[in-house]
Amino acid sequence: MALESPLIQAEMVEAMEFPELSHHHSVSGVPQTTINDGAGAVVGAVPEDYLLAEILRAINAKY
Amino acid sequence: MAELLNEAIKNQVREVFSQLEGPVQVLFFGQERDCEYCDDTRQLAEEVTALSDKLELKVYDLEGDAEIAQGYHVDKVPALVFAARDGEVIHDYGLRMAGIPAGHEFNSLIHDLILVSRRDSGLSQKTRDLLARLSKPVFLQVFVTPT
Repeated sequence: MALESPLIQAEMVEAMEFPELSHHHSVSGVPQTTINDGAGAVVGAVPEDYLLAEILRAINAKY
Repeated sequence: MAELLNEAIKNQVREVFSQLEGPVQVLFFGQERDCEYCDDTRQLAEEVTALSDKLELKVYDLEGDAEIAQGYHVDKVPALVFAARDGEVIHDYGLRMAGIPAGHEFNSLIHDLILVSRRDSGLSQKTRDLLARLSKPVFLQVFVTPT
């Protein structure tokens, strides 16, 4: 998704190496995707529609 | 140090790298102290980028090269940034990894390199259209484990 918009940054984080950050985001299952530092979150490898819907919800975008 | 990738894996990766198109700039950020996986991640990045002449690696230090790190929004080590390179111009897509891409995440590393090289996300047209209309910044962090 980061390739499609200059407004998107995507960072993959190896949870074991960054336990404080993982704890901060209450990571229990992987993969877990957090959006804008906790404004949204998705657990599991979900379809792109699902992640997109959660992103739009997290930033209060209406389309 | 012994190589991390054996010849069989290197051959597999070379085969997958036939899908590479444009040049990719890989940026490694590390630091000397308190970084358990920096050396291994750097070595892995060196071995992988050596498998194609379309991949180039630059090595930086998080503190010594602080301005460059900030420019790529890198604040953790080890970190890898995958950017498109056209001549001397580097285009940062905002795509990066924090931590060593070992185990299953080795696949993600190879996959990211191919996406950036092809300048193509592989997403549906509908998703692309919606993402193109974003009006606010979005920061995705995908937490993974190597197994």
